[in-house]
Amino acid sequence: MIRIENLNKSFEGNTVLNNITTEFQKGKTNLIIGRSGSGKTVLLKSIVGLHEIDNGSIYYDDRNFTTMKPSVRKKLRQEMGMVFQGGALFDSLTVAENVRFPLDMFTEQTPAEKARRVEFCLDRVNISREAHRLSPSEISGGMKKRVAIARAISLNPKYLFCDEPNSGLDPETSLLIDDLIHEITVEFNITTIINTHDMNSVMEIGEKILFISEGEMCWEGTKTEILYAENKKLQEFVFANPQYKQIRDLRREADTD
Amino acid sequence: MKFFFSAGRYFALLARVFSRPERSRIYLQKLFLEIESLGINSVGIVAVISTFMGGIITLQVAYNMTNPFLPTYLIGLGNRDSLILEFSSTVMALIMAGKIGSNITSEIGSMRVTEQIDSLEIMGVNSASYLILPKIAAVVLMFPFLYILSVFFGLIGGLIVGPSLGAVSATDYINGIQYAFTPYYVTFSLIKSLFFGFLVASVPAYFGYFVEGGALEVGTASTRAVVNTNILILVFDLILTQLLF
Ligand SMILES: Nc1ncnc2c1ncn2[C@@H]1O[C@H](COP(=O)(O)OP(=O)(O)O)[C@@H](O)[C@H]1O
Ligand SMILES: [Mg+2]
Repeated sequence: MIRIENLNKSFEGNTVLNNITTEFQKGKTNLIIGRSGSGKTVLLKSIVGLHEIDNGSIYYDDRNFTTMKPSVRKKLRQEMGMVFQGGALFDSLTVAENVRFPLDMFTEQTPAEKARRVEFCLDRVNISREAHRLSPSEISGGMKKRVAIARAISLNPKYLFCDEPNSGLDPETSLLIDDLIHEITVEFNITTIINTHDMNSVMEIGEKILFISEGEMCWEGTKTEILYAENKKLQEFVFANPQYKQIRDLRREADTD
Repeated sequence: MKFFFSAGRYFALLARVFSRPERSRIYLQKLFLEIESLGINSVGIVAVISTFMGGIITLQVAYNMTNPFLPTYLIGLGNRDSLILEFSSTVMALIMAGKIGSNITSEIGSMRVTEQIDSLEIMGVNSASYLILPKIAAVVLMFPFLYILSVFFGLIGGLIVGPSLGAVSATDYINGIQYAFTPYYVTFSLIKSLFFGFLVASVPAYFGYFVEGGALEVGTASTRAVVNTNILILVFDLILTQLLF
């Protein structure tokens, strides 16, 4: 579980996040949604400490991350995995070496143990054995995201963060990635936070949804509640694609019958 | 104002670079890779440029010695001291800033804009130390070798060009390059080359590490890194010459 209280973040006087308070649950896929530029990436990077926040508190299972000593913070980092928007694989390393990197840096495992762990993680995200020795520039966008997920889970994280895991992918591949992240979250009981502006993802895996607009927290709820939400800004966001209006109306009819 | 901000950020970065490495074995592996990519791969260009420059300096000295009473060994001596004192240390460092420096900025800069540096940080790796320390160590180690190599090829260049174009006889040239040799000149330049090596690795690394934006900004940063490194090399040349000579 991750809890944030009264989080504020600004860049040189420009407020980007204004007084965010919320809680993200364990074993669930928690979504942060909003238009691009609304502050999703800044919020995610603030939660993991890549941005220093102006004020507020962040708790990782009741451990106060904000007041933590750098050395303790560094230890906690090993419980986190993060999938960046472009995958952020290390281009000088192969697919397998990317996944092995955290093991090399932070474990005392033998080469055989590491190799087994790398195989396990890459198998879990359905990367074939032939692809292990390719470099990141030789694989597709969808594969990059999957390798990034494998790298993020290699140290058995308690917390997983994904920044727009679907950006640049076709709808079918997006669905596969969403389902993969959801399965992994449930399987390993991880607290997962995902940034997205993709309504398909919201309806597929949105167990807890936080909607932000221009750095303000506007709405919280689940994927079943989101279609009936009264919030104007959220409605504009959700029904930008008229398909979801139809879905809502169909469900309303079904309910009244 | 901008200068003080940059200088402060540069030294803060260096402090992180030189904090204790987490895994010395991994750093050592990276060091060898960097020695190869930054040092060994520069041997060719150093050899070619130095050979030409040695030849050209020899010709220039010979053609400008219009007074027939000046001894011809001065030609070899002129080439030797130009190489030892300034060309192989300072000019070579300026050239290396263009080759190695722009490479360092674009490598680290593209890791910044594709979030690979964030990726290291989130894992708990000290990205500054992991990425920059092996580069600084490799370049500082390699620069004295490249200096010696440059002097050697410059002398060879003079020996090839001078006699073959009839500017000086081989015997006179060889006598010249041995005449009144001052070992301290070499010591002085080796000390300079250590400083220059540090600048050529650390300044471009700084420019790459703090890039904001995308591929375009990485390109701009490379150019600015090379210009700034060159200016700093010349400033340090002035200071060190004043202090050590
Ligand atoms: N490093 C930064 N410096 C200054 N402003 C930033 C920085 N990062 C993001 N911003 C600003 O914060 C706002 C939110 O950006 P971001 O979180 O990236 O949006 P998104 O919801 O698309 O991920 C934008 O207006 C952006 O310009
Ligand atoms: Mg974003």
